[in-house]
Amino acid sequence: MEDLGFILATYIVTFGSVAAFAFAIVRRGRRLAAQLPAKDKPWT
Amino acid sequence: MATPDIETPATAAGTRAGTGTVFTRFIGLATIVGMVALGVFGLLLSPADVQQSDSVRILYIHVGTVWVAYVAFAFTALASAAYLWKRTTSLAWDRFAGASAEIGVLFMALTLLAGSLWGRLSWGKFWVWDARVTSTAFMFVTYVGYLAVRGLGGSHHQRARRSAVVALLAVLEIPLVHFSVKLWRGLHQDSSVADRTNVNLHGLMLFSLFISVIAFTLLYVWLMMHRQRVLAMQDAIDNTGLDYALQQRRDEGDL
Repeated sequence: MEDLGFILATYIVTFGSVAAFAFAIVRRGRRLAAQLPAKDKPWT
Repeated sequence: MATPDIETPATAAGTRAGTGTVFTRFIGLATIVGMVALGVFGLLLSPADVQQSDSVRILYIHVGTVWVAYVAFAFTALASAAYLWKRTTSLAWDRFAGASAEIGVLFMALTLLAGSLWGRLSWGKFWVWDARVTSTAFMFVTYVGYLAVRGLGGSHHQRARRSAVVALLAVLEIPLVHFSVKLWRGLHQDSSVADRTNVNLHGLMLFSLFISVIAFTLLYVWLMMHRQRVLAMQDAIDNTGLDYALQQRRDEGDL
């Protein structure tokens, strides 16, 4: 495969950034959920 | 012996549940499957393009991310309009707009990055002042500004009103960016799949692009659900803090 470095960099940076963002959101959600009563979390 | 049902701070808060539900887990699982499929088809199964060679594989990321960015910014505008319209006004729309804009900014940044790497292979440069590339960068900066406006402070409704106005102005850039390749002749190629009668991709290449759009759309839905709930909890904590401060001032007044 030609230009493998550029292609792999695109996939790794994209998937890595999205995974880091998703992880940060879930972690923040868990931290905030621990501080609130159930009435403030209607999805639970 | 049955345990008495006493509500303690820990049980009241519900430490176990975060922002996930059965539905978000289902969407999350579908997203992971979609992303794995994108990796397999985009990197391994899709053939190299006659003109672009293997660099076409970057476009499976580039097109999927820009699609999500467009959708996210469009939903930011729709939710902002729903907030400003008196019949539907609700801070839930504002949080929807804010969550969507954040995700849109992330995906627009990834679009610019993937486009830059593709440009280095196709045009020999990471950056060119082409109409599409420049207008996309301008849109990215505009939405970073939108997020900055959201963080200026004030009450939740003040935040919602001012950011809604910015969102309704910023969304006008989407048609400008999309049609910039037709309005000004530049280096950036036209759409590969403009409509049903004008498809320049076929077979596994078209299928890989289709998987990319589906997978990134699922990811957008998953991120939106979680991010909106985080914003709702942040607002609830802000309100709790405000109530507490007001009570303290009242107590001070009673002394």
